Amino acid sequence: MAQSIAASDSTGSMAGVEASYVEQYDYDIIKKFAVMAILWGVVGMTAGTWIASELAWPFLNFDIAQITFGRLRPVHTSSVIFGFGGNALFATSFYIVQRTCQTRLWGSGLANFTLWGWNIAIAVAGIGYMMGITQGREYAEPEWYVDLLIAVVWVVYFLIYTMTLLKRNQPHIYVANWFFISFILAVALLHIFNNLAVPVSFFGTKSYSLFSGAQDAMTQWWYGHNAVGFFLTAAFLGMMYYFVPKQAGRPVYSYRLSIVHFWALSFMYMWVGTHHLHWTAIPDWTSSLAAAFSIMLLMPSWGGMINGIMTLSGAWDKLRSDPIMMFLITSLSFYGMSTFEGPMMALKSVNALSHYTDWTVGHVHSGALGWVAMVTFGSFYHMIPKLWNTSIYSIRLIYVHFFLATIGILLYITALWVSGIGQGLMLRAFDEYGNLAYSFIETVTFMHGPLVARAVAGMFFVSGMLVMAYNVFMTIAKRESLRTTEQSAAMA
Amino acid sequence: MSDHKHKITKDPLTGAETTGHVWDDDLQEFNNPLPTWWLWAFYATIIFSIVYWIIYPSWPTNFAKRGFIEGATSISFNADSIKDGKKTVAGGEEVTVPWNTRALLAHEMQNDPNELKRNAMVKKVAGMALADVAKDPDSSAFVRAYGKGIFGDYCAACHQAGGQGVRGHYPNLVDDAWLWGGETADIETTIRKGRKGNMPAHKASLSDQQITEAANYVLSLSGEAVDAGLAASGKEIFNTKGCSGCHTPAATGMKALGAANLTDKIWTQAHVPEAETVEAKVKAVKTVISNGIQREMPAWETRLSNDEIKVLVAYIKLLSSN
Repeated sequence: MAQSIAASDSTGSMAGVEASYVEQYDYDIIKKFAVMAILWGVVGMTAGTWIASELAWPFLNFDIAQITFGRLRPVHTSSVIFGFGGNALFATSFYIVQRTCQTRLWGSGLANFTLWGWNIAIAVAGIGYMMGITQGREYAEPEWYVDLLIAVVWVVYFLIYTMTLLKRNQPHIYVANWFFISFILAVALLHIFNNLAVPVSFFGTKSYSLFSGAQDAMTQWWYGHNAVGFFLTAAFLGMMYYFVPKQAGRPVYSYRLSIVHFWALSFMYMWVGTHHLHWTAIPDWTSSLAAAFSIMLLMPSWGGMINGIMTLSGAWDKLRSDPIMMFLITSLSFYGMSTFEGPMMALKSVNALSHYTDWTVGHVHSGALGWVAMVTFGSFYHMIPKLWNTSIYSIRLIYVHFFLATIGILLYITALWVSGIGQGLMLRAFDEYGNLAYSFIETVTFMHGPLVARAVAGMFFVSGMLVMAYNVFMTIAKRESLRTTEQSAAMA
Repeated sequence: MSDHKHKITKDPLTGAETTGHVWDDDLQEFNNPLPTWWLWAFYATIIFSIVYWIIYPSWPTNFAKRGFIEGATSISFNADSIKDGKKTVAGGEEVTVPWNTRALLAHEMQNDPNELKRNAMVKKVAGMALADVAKDPDSSAFVRAYGKGIFGDYCAACHQAGGQGVRGHYPNLVDDAWLWGGETADIETTIRKGRKGNMPAHKASLSDQQITEAANYVLSLSGEAVDAGLAASGKEIFNTKGCSGCHTPAATGMKALGAANLTDKIWTQAHVPEAETVEAKVKAVKTVISNGIQREMPAWETRLSNDEIKVLVAYIKLLSSN
């Protein structure tokens, strides 16, 4: 609140500053993407907490087909990955590319098309899932008509981004932009090839994949893991490379490390998708290749973590005094942890235990909540006051959000380690006669406790998201009311 | 605004030099070298990968003559044999091949100590008379463990993990009442061939009053304190309107049709034990008489092996004798 008073004290100069900002950068589109990200975050995380609760207390299905786990789960994943994450990436990438190129977005009307196209695609896909319309491909559930819309939106996004880079007023392209470009290119490639399908009819929703059998599975997981690698990792590293040094007020730790880990990461990720198919009907060498490349991916991933965390050297005190820095550094710590866990789980011997258990789900969430969501929260708390040229409504609420989110993640991961590793061990336990010691249902009974803890963890995390939505809403509302006062004062 | 000149500066806090690039007013980068430990760890993962590719043969190499290092990256197992068109699993000569998942599966099925122990016990029990199984502690302990797995995988979805069933849907297997007979041979037939339980609905053929009377009679058979007058008229209906045809005039049921014994206090279909008042009990029985029963248990003989069925029968006998 102290800051907000300071901001309103300086109203006199603010109008002038704002005018120059409006001229220099196109912020309007970024504001819209940022608001959409927060809305999808609330929707997606609520859906996630709901289905987590269904697993813990199955009566919550209420025998309504549309809200059963199978239908609502892709609503959750699409809303958080593409709704929350995707809109956040559009927002921050458009913010970063303009500010680091010192130029306005190329083709400004087109950016609005990406906003509407992207969000309509997710909404149409989500409603479809609840009606049972899905390709049944994880993270690529939308049917062909939505896929076509996404492809067009993505090509336009690529055009806007590269054309903006081309008309930059800076001699060099900042590292964050390399990551965003690799993300946009890779996702275009992945999306188009994984969704090659033949619609059954022009007016029908159903389509069949161009691939079949093992090829189909390998195409899907080439897509699926690189959605993690390029959408949820490379792009968010781009976010990290701008907001961490900005918030810390310190230079990025190592330019050389950023080059080496960027190329190593981009090269290695493409090979590892098949580790999702260990011990299935695929050629053994593809499985071994994927496991080995997953191990080699460890250090390139950690390169980004080191570069982010070490950027704080010389400003470590900010970890005590700056909640935004706490979000950013915690996100990097979770990034480091989950990129260590991932390669371990990609080893065939470990995967034999972990696959098809909640350990995988826990791992995904340590990346998705710990890394992706936390780095987005930190970046948004930095960016949103700048977009609206004001200060945040409440710093105390940022702390509240930070602790709700962190407690939520820790509880979540721990609960699913217990559930997943426990189930994995039960499924391979033998008795003295060489019989399997447990039937499947006994492992499910065992999982009930951890699944309740996981649902509670989700409630923590979604509460944090609601606190953020409130804080951002109040920040914008406060700024708008100030603007109205200014306008009426000017008219008088 | 833009500063195109490279101004390399030295950081007063860490002594590191910047690259001289500046973006967005204050965004800079140091030119620190790659951390040594990071670089060596990266090399270590590459070496690990090369070793991994040798252990799990991935590249078409030929350095060890046959493409693998015997003992370290190979798997040995007995191949299947085919004699006179009849295939015997693992009946052939031992073969050694580069590591692969199919060879690994064959190797483990033939050599895993748990697999060997279990196979020996299955053979032992399948060769015993069921009466002897119950007497031998080791065999019955094995049946309990092995049967629990099969029962859990194939039966528990309906009959529940403990075999207690679900009233109104799936019969209880741990009480002494058997719809289709509780002898070993009966249970085996039930598992092999499945069962179709059918009681016709009577709501069209009997009036509500008649159904109420029949329900009172049925409840009186197991000692419920019902209206004696209604029960007496119900007995008449029971014997003249078709009930006794399947349930027999003594109401003790008929094994061949799976018709329930109505004189015990066991209720597989009507929710009598849950009902607290006599009215509620009558209502529960009336529901069954009105709507009839259609239920089916699938046949398992094409899905389970003879040995598995044998152990499963023994397991169910042990369950119900507790």
